[in-house]
Amino acid sequence: MDEASDVMPSELPVERRQRHTRDRTASLNSLSHFKSASSKHIRPKSTLRNRGSNASMKSVGSDTDHSEIIAPIPRRHLLQTSQSLHWLRVDTSSGDEWLNRGVSPVSASSVGSVFPNNRMSNRLSFTALMEHERTTVGPSSTADARILEDDQGNIGAGRRFVRWMHRNNMKNWVVPSAIAASTLVKWCIGFGTYSGHNRPPIFGDYEAQRHWMELTVHLPVREWYTYDLQYWGLDYPPLTAYVSWLCGRIGSLIEPSWFALQASRGLETGGSKLFMRATVVIFDLLLYIPALYTFVCAWQGTRSSRKRHAALLTLLFHPALLLIDFGHFQYNSVMLGLTLLAINAFAAGHDLFGAIFFVLSLGFKQMALYYAPAVGSYLIGKCIYLGPVHGTRLFLRLALTTTLAFIIMFAPFLPPFSPLSTIAAPIIRIFPFGRGLFEDKVANFWCFTNVLVKWKHIFASREGILIKASTGLTALGFLPAVAALIFGGYKTRLQKDAQNHSVDVSPSMAPASPSSPTPILPLLPYALLTCSMSFFLFSFQVHEKTILIPLLPLTLLLSGAAPTDDVFLWGALGNNVGVFSMWPLLKKDGLGLQYLAMLILWNRLIGYNPFKLRYGHFAGLLSSVVHTVIIILHLIELAVTPPARYPDLFPVLNVLTCTPIFGLIWLWSIKRLVEVSWAISGLPGKREKEPSSTVSAISTTSSSAMFGHSPMRGEMGVRATSLGYASGRGRGQADARRRALVTSAGGDQEH
Amino acid sequence: MNTVKQSHSSPTDQLDDSQKPHAPKSTSAWTWLNFLGDVSKSEVDVLLLSMAFKFLLFPAYRSTDFEVHRNWLAITHSLPISQWYYDTTSEWTLDYPPFFAYFESLMSIPASFIDPKIVDLQNLQYDAWTVIAYQRLTVIISELVLGAALLRFIRVSVDPSRQRILSASLFLHPGFLMIDHIHFQYNGFMFGILLWSILMACEGRKLASGILFAVLLNFKHIYMYLAPAYFIYLLRSYCMSPAGAIIPTRFISLANSVLLVFLASLGPFVLMGQLPQLLSRLFPFTRGLNHAYWAPNAWALVTAADRVLLQLVKHLGVELVVNESGIASTSRGLVGDTVFAVIPNIKPIHTFIVTIIFQMVYLIKLWSAPTYKSFVAALTLCGYASYMFGWHVHEKAILLVLVPLTLLASENYAYYKTFVIASVAGVFSLFPLIFTPAETLLKIVYSFIWGGMILYPLHKQLYEFPSSLPWVLLESFENAYLYGFAFLQAFVTLFPLMTGGNPDTEFLPLMATSVYCAVGLIWSFIRLSTLYIIQQY
Repeated sequence: MDEASDVMPSELPVERRQRHTRDRTASLNSLSHFKSASSKHIRPKSTLRNRGSNASMKSVGSDTDHSEIIAPIPRRHLLQTSQSLHWLRVDTSSGDEWLNRGVSPVSASSVGSVFPNNRMSNRLSFTALMEHERTTVGPSSTADARILEDDQGNIGAGRRFVRWMHRNNMKNWVVPSAIAASTLVKWCIGFGTYSGHNRPPIFGDYEAQRHWMELTVHLPVREWYTYDLQYWGLDYPPLTAYVSWLCGRIGSLIEPSWFALQASRGLETGGSKLFMRATVVIFDLLLYIPALYTFVCAWQGTRSSRKRHAALLTLLFHPALLLIDFGHFQYNSVMLGLTLLAINAFAAGHDLFGAIFFVLSLGFKQMALYYAPAVGSYLIGKCIYLGPVHGTRLFLRLALTTTLAFIIMFAPFLPPFSPLSTIAAPIIRIFPFGRGLFEDKVANFWCFTNVLVKWKHIFASREGILIKASTGLTALGFLPAVAALIFGGYKTRLQKDAQNHSVDVSPSMAPASPSSPTPILPLLPYALLTCSMSFFLFSFQVHEKTILIPLLPLTLLLSGAAPTDDVFLWGALGNNVGVFSMWPLLKKDGLGLQYLAMLILWNRLIGYNPFKLRYGHFAGLLSSVVHTVIIILHLIELAVTPPARYPDLFPVLNVLTCTPIFGLIWLWSIKRLVEVSWAISGLPGKREKEPSSTVSAISTTSSSAMFGHSPMRGEMGVRATSLGYASGRGRGQADARRRALVTSAGGDQEH
Repeated sequence: MNTVKQSHSSPTDQLDDSQKPHAPKSTSAWTWLNFLGDVSKSEVDVLLLSMAFKFLLFPAYRSTDFEVHRNWLAITHSLPISQWYYDTTSEWTLDYPPFFAYFESLMSIPASFIDPKIVDLQNLQYDAWTVIAYQRLTVIISELVLGAALLRFIRVSVDPSRQRILSASLFLHPGFLMIDHIHFQYNGFMFGILLWSILMACEGRKLASGILFAVLLNFKHIYMYLAPAYFIYLLRSYCMSPAGAIIPTRFISLANSVLLVFLASLGPFVLMGQLPQLLSRLFPFTRGLNHAYWAPNAWALVTAADRVLLQLVKHLGVELVVNESGIASTSRGLVGDTVFAVIPNIKPIHTFIVTIIFQMVYLIKLWSAPTYKSFVAALTLCGYASYMFGWHVHEKAILLVLVPLTLLASENYAYYKTFVIASVAGVFSLFPLIFTPAETLLKIVYSFIWGGMILYPLHKQLYEFPSSLPWVLLESFENAYLYGFAFLQAFVTLFPLMTGGNPDTEFLPLMATSVYCAVGLIWSFIRLSTLYIIQQY
């Protein structure tokens, strides 16, 4: 909450102070805080309470957390409850008088005994008394009240865990332990086999990555993209090559035979496998996990720490990514982590850093291009938003930085380091248009329609048409995202005359504006989803693993949503179906068990039960149906071997199941784009009005997932200003719009 | 065999509960499950998440115990019962009591449907995916007995929130994870039976408690370590009136039911006249004082002292009668039989006498105060004394101490601290079981997370300030000891890297682990003994 309250130095000083004192009461059990005035008025009798009632005490302070407003349940120590009085021979009717007398500290602390030679230990042990109590009175109902309460909410195991940790005063340990646990899970997935394990002569993705380490270590840079292309020639951009080189160097230090040129092909020793697995985990720890953490801070900075922690948990155990990176073996988390860092930088207003991160992401894996239209149009939209002067300046800076970053990345392939012709090899390798419309069965439009229309046969000699068609369809697919971002930027652009109208516009707004977040930021995750999904569905040469790229923005959106939200339902459905769409691949890799374990683990963690019927939610009903179909398909696959005529029967059925879902998610993301952009910019010319009056009913559904926080109790200003991303410097008339957006977004969100 | 039945049916219905959380729990279909009470969502969380995690461990390292159990599946499936204890096709002969053999026989039926090669006696070292998945799965499923018992402990506890933490700590115990789910054994299942038996004692159903313990003894005879406590407790509190008069009906019913259990187990072998053969398999007295890796008990310290003395003797040139064969056995510390060089050798009878003396002290106390708490403490101490002074103790036997000790942990701070020291040292002493590099990271991180999640909240709830200066000092020593494990782990990890796997010093990390853990376990043993003797029940 600190970032949020810093944002509002003048508007709500009183409330802020109050909130701070209340925050402190969160640690009621440390003695010094007993003296704080606010704690007294919350619980006048709090000194009476004993260690036994710690659980309820800790929740007192959590009132900054809206969803969790749980009135402190006054739980007395057993000594003080009337049911315990009979063995103390105290008259129960004395009631309050007796309670006010309190319990002397000595007797309270001698619940146990001081080891070993204490006088108290010779008395009857207190637990023995309690036990006696239990048998005479029966199970106490108050003891489990808190746990039962947890059970009633429709929340996942992750949130329950976070609550438990917070209540047991381990708030600061949630993030480290979650990261440790997820790393442990990732490591354990790595016990399994990997892509191409024990399958000579060509092996699989694992061997590809290992081979790149081998060749980058031993060959000069300009031969990297030309060396023995038949055997896993390098076809990723230079950053992958550099990273491979680094890993190869370190690995060669440990054991040179792991990366011996030629001799190490197909090497599968335990040591080298361990090393390779360790590199993925280390890159994940260095890049992806910090990116997730900064995402949660940057985009959900104004939410309660419990919600942020729960969101982090959701993201840390993302099943599809874990299975592919740590099971199948790839380095997607590096690419996704860099993209995520770029998005975080945009949210924090550091557009240039964001651009550099995104270029790095592109430079690691060309698949980041799926995000490029959204990122590019966001930046253009921002330039438009800033107006002609600042916008142009920003645009030039961005163009310059991006070009420079690209040039530096490709520098070894450019003059003066090597002849200009060298650059052709990586470019050709990176964009493989010669490899056909699709390879394996992949759940996209082309493979889906291929069941009826045999594209490859019809256009056997005219591949060019297919390329054009797929490019055109893809462009059509991501057009809504581009349009929404640019149009949003245009609609919300800063106008000079606006400064005369707004009262609270500071003169410092204009110079500060290039680094302040834009109102179109809420569109960005949806735009990323639309773009990447459209690429996945319509573009050329898509792999089934590429579903990870649309799943990232979808999971980001999901992480902030409540379990009854539309966003949550679509996100969970998309993720599960996404994992299912990779089932043929995982099965081939021997990762069936890991597939099952991760699905159970993650769904339990986020509290998603697909078979719970949710009437009135299209996504909910759809998910029940789809999951039933998936389970049936799995069962049939277990029981029946496909007929010889259709060896690919199950992969095709898989494609037929998954593609419609991905298509629906794509359509849904477009719908959400429209809604959110309506909420942002749908009220032209009314900016001067009081925000609360301009709230439209339609926008209640908008942006609630990521950015909605119920602005209760007059904290609207605080929350609205920062709108999910921490930096709130750009106050002004944009602020009014944001407030409108957020006001509208509340309500349906928190539970 | 009630428990086995439960183990097979509880997962499905717990899953079901989680899927319809608001369904009334006491509808007729589920009434037979009432013994678990309302299973809360957080409990299902623990079950499901830990299950999912254990699935991931299927391909992990597994010891020869895996092949041992596979071989037993084959023996019990393909041979007639008369051959079970005679078969020597594999070197891993059947050396568990008959109930466990029956259990294996039961498990071999589905196994033969899944993959007939699993139960092929000649198919040694079979490690196809089917057998791995099947055997690992049986461990997870049979462990549900433990889960059910732990849930019951929450229901009957006076302080459910604390007991919930303790129950979770047992279900997720790194000991079980390492021994059962990586190394491969069925401890979760058998400790489940033990906990059911203790639970019955807690609920005052002492006859059931006795029967369950008899059943357990026929699953694995290592639980004989605990038998004296059971014997005294049941005799004093069940078969005798508080005044000390024997109640014949109770005595006879208990004796008869225990006899019946043994008859069901050993009867067929007695009829076939195979009892001597069976017993010779169960109690091989041909092993040495210490296991290959010294279990961190009193003898580990004695052995270490012998090693140190030998070096002293060598360097100082003191004239002493040195046992030559002892010098030979010193260099490794890994070799099976231990022969002392300086200290007089220890014979099985010595260890036996020491153990009995210690146990007698606790049993006299238990006789005078036959309450449930006293019983659990005496049970723990009986196991502890056997672990400390027993002949050829395995490091895995530490679970015999840690599991019942956990039930006492929330009693008060003194017990809690004892529990912490014993748990940390005990879990650490299991680390050498898992020595492959990939699993090493797993065991350390998992144990660390486990320790943090369990110990921190309990510490918060139970902490008491030390009352005087000696206790302050003692507490700081204890904490220093606990922090020392970080350095020990660093040493164990780094030492082989620095020496480059020199075989002469290979045993040093193991010896250091053993000695350091032994110090903590012995201290914890002294603490617990003192606590038990002075506490009035």
